[in-house]
Amino acid sequence: MTRAAVAILAAVLLAFIVIPLAGLVGHLGPNELAAITSPSALLALRLSFMTTLIALAVTLVLGTPLAYILARADFPGRKIVDALVDLPIVIPPAVAGLALLLVFGRNGTFGPFLRSMGITLSFTTAAVVMAQVFVSSPFYVRAARGGLAQVDRQLEAASLTLGMGPLRTFAFVTIPLAAPSLLGGALLCWARALGEFGATIMFAGNLAGVSQTLPLAVYLNLESGNLPVATALSVALIFVSLIVISLVRLAEHRR
Amino acid sequence: MNIALVLVLAATVNVFAAASLTEAFNAAAAAFTQKTGIEVKLNYGGSDTLATQIKQGAPADVFASANLVQMKNVADAGLVAGTPKTFAKNRLVLIAPKNDPVKVASPADLAKPGVKVVLAAATVPVGAYARAALTKLGLHVEKNVVSNELDVKAVVTKISLGEADAGIVYSTDVTATVAPKLNAFPFPAAVEPDIEYPIAALKNAQDTKGAQAFVDYIVSPEGQGFLKARGFISP
Repeated sequence: MTRAAVAILAAVLLAFIVIPLAGLVGHLGPNELAAITSPSALLALRLSFMTTLIALAVTLVLGTPLAYILARADFPGRKIVDALVDLPIVIPPAVAGLALLLVFGRNGTFGPFLRSMGITLSFTTAAVVMAQVFVSSPFYVRAARGGLAQVDRQLEAASLTLGMGPLRTFAFVTIPLAAPSLLGGALLCWARALGEFGATIMFAGNLAGVSQTLPLAVYLNLESGNLPVATALSVALIFVSLIVISLVRLAEHRR
Repeated sequence: MNIALVLVLAATVNVFAAASLTEAFNAAAAAFTQKTGIEVKLNYGGSDTLATQIKQGAPADVFASANLVQMKNVADAGLVAGTPKTFAKNRLVLIAPKNDPVKVASPADLAKPGVKVVLAAATVPVGAYARAALTKLGLHVEKNVVSNELDVKAVVTKISLGEADAGIVYSTDVTATVAPKLNAFPFPAAVEPDIEYPIAALKNAQDTKGAQAFVDYIVSPEGQGFLKARGFISP
C-alpha cells in the first residue's frame, strides 16, 4: 500500500516533467524541420554557440584558480566566499541582469569609466557573454572545487619530490585526477549559459546577430506567432540538454 | 462545494491588457471593484504576447489591446464575444534621456550615425507604429537599433536608465515616475499613426456578465475619466 503510494507520487512528478517535453518533440513536423534552417534560426544558433563557448573559456580560465583556492586554501572568510560563489545559482536571472545593468550599464557604477575608455557594454555581444558567465560560472566552480578537494595530495607531493614544478604537477597530476569533476562542471556550466534568458534580455537587449541568443529567439518567435521556429529551436535545445546530461553522468561515472 | 468554488471564481474578472494601459487600468479596476464588488485581476504585457496567451487557452475574460491587429488576431480565432469597442487613442513620442551626451531632439536625429535607438520589437504594436511613422518620414533607423524590446515598458526603462540615446513609446508612458529623467518630443501630425485601443469580452470567459460589465465600465464616462487622467485620448 505504502509502496504503491510512493510509486504513484514519484510517477506523477516524472510524468509532469517528461510529458510536456515529449509533447514539444511530438510537435515536430516538416514545417519545424524547415524552420530550423531559416536565417533567423541559424543566426541565433551561431550566436549562442559562439557566446557560450567564450563564456565557458572565461569560466575555465578564471574559475579554475577560484575553485583551487576554495578547495585548498584556508583563509578567513572562506565560507563566505564559498557562499557568494554559489549565489548566482539561486538569484533570479532578471535580478542578475538588473545588477549587471546598474554596474556595467552606461550610467552604471563603472559606466562613466568604461565610456571614457570608449567602451559601451549594454546591448553588445560582450554583454551576452557577461550575463552568461555571471549565471553559469558557479556551476563549474562548484564542481571543480569538489573535484580538486578530492585529489589525493600524496600523489601531488610525490610529483613535487620527483622534481616536477608546481605548475607541471597541477597540469599533469591534479587536473587529470580531477578531470571527471572538471568536465562535468564545464558541461553543466555551458548548458546553463546556453539556456540563459533573463539576464541577457535585461543587460544585452534583443537584436538578431548581436544579442538574440537561442532562448530569446524561441521567445520572440513564439510572441510573433511563428510557432514552427519556436518549436524547432526548443527541440534543438532539449536535445542538446539531453546530450549534456548524459555526458555529465558519464563523467561522474568515471570518477 | 463545487458551486461555492464557481461563485468564488465568478466574482473575479481576468483582464489581459496592453502594458501601456498599466497605470490607467490599475486605477479604473480599483474603482470598478469598489462600485460592483467584482474583483479584477490584471495581466499586463505586450499585446502580441497576450494575444498568443489567449489563443493558447489562458484564462482571460477581457482583452484590451494596443492595436487592432492583435484584437483581430484573437477575433479571427473565434474567441471574442460580440464586437470589440475602441475605448482610447494614444500618440507616439520620441524619448531621450536627459543629460545624454548625444542630443536627440527630433525623429530625424534617430537616423544620424552612432545614435543608439531602442524600439519595441516589430511584432509589438508600439514597435510597428514607430517603424511605420519613421518610414513615412523617409528615415532609415533600423541600422541604429541596438535592441528590440519585448514591450513598451521595457523601452521606457532602458531609456530612463540612459542605456541608449532614444526610443519611441506612447505619450502615456512618460508617467510622473519617469518624466524627470526623460525629454519627450512629439511626431509630426502628418505621420502620426492612428493608435486605437480596442477592448472586448472573450467567449470563454468564466463570468461573461462580469467581463461585459468591465468592458462597459471602461467605455463609460467614468471609466474614460481614468484614461484621460493618464493622457489617453477618448475615441
